[in-house]
Amino acid sequence: MSEIRFTNVKQLPSVHLLGSGNPMCAGCGGLEALHQVYDILGANTVFVNAAGCMTLLAVYPFTPFRGSWLYTAMASAPAGAQGIRDALDVLKERRGLPPGEDMQVVVLTGDGSAYGMGLSATSGAIERGLDFLYLCYDNEGYGNTGQQASAATPHGARTATSLSGIGFVGEKKPLFDIWAAHRPPYVATVIGSEPLDLARKIEKAKAIKGPRLIIALSPCPTGWDFDPQESVTIGKLAVNTGIWPLKEYVDGKVVHTKIPRRRVPVTSYLEAQGRFAHLFKPQRNEAVLAEIQAKVDAYWAGVI
Amino acid sequence: MYRIRFHGRGGQGMKTAGRILGTAFFREGYEVQDAPRYGAERRGAPIFAFVRADKNPILERGIIRRPDLAVVADDTLAPVPAAGVLAGVDAHTLMLINTHEAAETWRQRLALPGRVLVLPASAEVEDRAALPQVGAACAGAAARLVGVIGRDALERAIRQELGHLGEAVLADNLAVALHAFDLMADEAGSLTERPPQIADAWQPPDWIEIPFEGADISAPAIHGALTSELMQTGLWRTLRPVIDRDRCNRCWWVCSTFCPDSAIRVDGEGNPHIDYDHCKGCLVCLAQCPPHAIRAVPEHSEQGGGA
Repeated sequence: MSEIRFTNVKQLPSVHLLGSGNPMCAGCGGLEALHQVYDILGANTVFVNAAGCMTLLAVYPFTPFRGSWLYTAMASAPAGAQGIRDALDVLKERRGLPPGEDMQVVVLTGDGSAYGMGLSATSGAIERGLDFLYLCYDNEGYGNTGQQASAATPHGARTATSLSGIGFVGEKKPLFDIWAAHRPPYVATVIGSEPLDLARKIEKAKAIKGPRLIIALSPCPTGWDFDPQESVTIGKLAVNTGIWPLKEYVDGKVVHTKIPRRRVPVTSYLEAQGRFAHLFKPQRNEAVLAEIQAKVDAYWAGVI
Repeated sequence: MYRIRFHGRGGQGMKTAGRILGTAFFREGYEVQDAPRYGAERRGAPIFAFVRADKNPILERGIIRRPDLAVVADDTLAPVPAAGVLAGVDAHTLMLINTHEAAETWRQRLALPGRVLVLPASAEVEDRAALPQVGAACAGAAARLVGVIGRDALERAIRQELGHLGEAVLADNLAVALHAFDLMADEAGSLTERPPQIADAWQPPDWIEIPFEGADISAPAIHGALTSELMQTGLWRTLRPVIDRDRCNRCWWVCSTFCPDSAIRVDGEGNPHIDYDHCKGCLVCLAQCPPHAIRAVPEHSEQGGGA
């Protein structure tokens, strides 16, 4: 693998490939990650988009992309990617498609698809060694339809379908671990609020062949209930509280790429979002808050 | 049948306005339909809510194409095509606009064929997407314009629809809605039902027949790149970020990297430029700018409108 290109924030692209004018919400954390990822992958990228918020990116005849986009049902984006990869390979072998015109095949799905409905198709694609990159924008719920709970919803979050006193009673599914257990060449977590870390990982993934899977935590002003201008601030809090560990699985090992020196209490992250307001008002739910903090502490105790 | 259409932005309470008015009608013995309509869930996006009320069973369904009353909670929606404020508005339609400007100004500006009334906009607010209780005000005013809804029915409808939000929120909304109800006293009953349409009188639209084409021609295929740039998402903005050139220290283009919408371009000298045709006004740039060189200006004052 080539040397890492991005050692300094000043090397990040200042010209962006993703077109403006798309209908994502103002302050969308998923779009934040996507536009940074696209800048690194380059224009020779074809997106295979499962149903979700980002379906709205390319509503005929409008597209923010510079190349092709394929829309699939929620469960079948990796299957769509297989078809495109195969077609490109046939073109290369039989029609002499020049290497410069080959494309990165990128699956783009939300957490509803990645953590739930599309997990089986992803598992199959990894098993077949499909040469593709999976980008999951994870806003921890079915955001496009009003933030119903998904398999990515964290414990204690209020969603349209989690109205109990403590919010969502379940736990966020450990998708990173599930993907890594398939032993693909590359799995990573990223977030748009850490653009240098994101750029390094995408640059690394871009040079690898085979299944490469990326989860981008995507602060969601609409579904998480905060002012759009706080989107990046909340992303940084997710990292600095240790709630969203930035890490990668490569060569069979998990490496943390940014370990918060002194972790901020999780309440700073939770308190900033309306979806956790019930844990603070009318009175603080100390038990749930302590439980969330304890889980984060236990995670990092196993890391450091 | 009464057909009332509410126009607002996500977050302004149009769905609630429709529910309050629908419930008030119901309390006065009407058959009622009320439904909101929105595309993707998005704060600030154009939202419609529809209310139909009749003494007889309502057999109509779907969106209201020809309203008797169109309530516009946010006058910045008027130029937004997707908001459809003017759709089906004719000489019979009464328009109620929440605005700082005069009714006559709006009548001329939009070439409205029918009557226009103004709901005086509340005190200056920075962010139009957070107009306080505007939904309740619209519902209260509409209820009076209809003329068949009593003050008591309106109050009980609001208690029923907003009671779960707690006493403070309820009290604020009640005050605003009843104030709007009282403001419209002189116009009570201005809203009239459209005479029923008779099927025999129906004329086919003056349309153009397009010949059927095979799937190879008619199936959607986009061959142009970046066509989304034809969409002016700048119209969403309620607050406008403005860069103070003296304070900008031409850093590593933090604002451009963090702008989710690729709406900040950096020129050869490292100066950022905001593309106001596409900036949605999320203000992530303002929140992240290291030297605080970006400030927010209310969009309506920047456009020369407003108070």
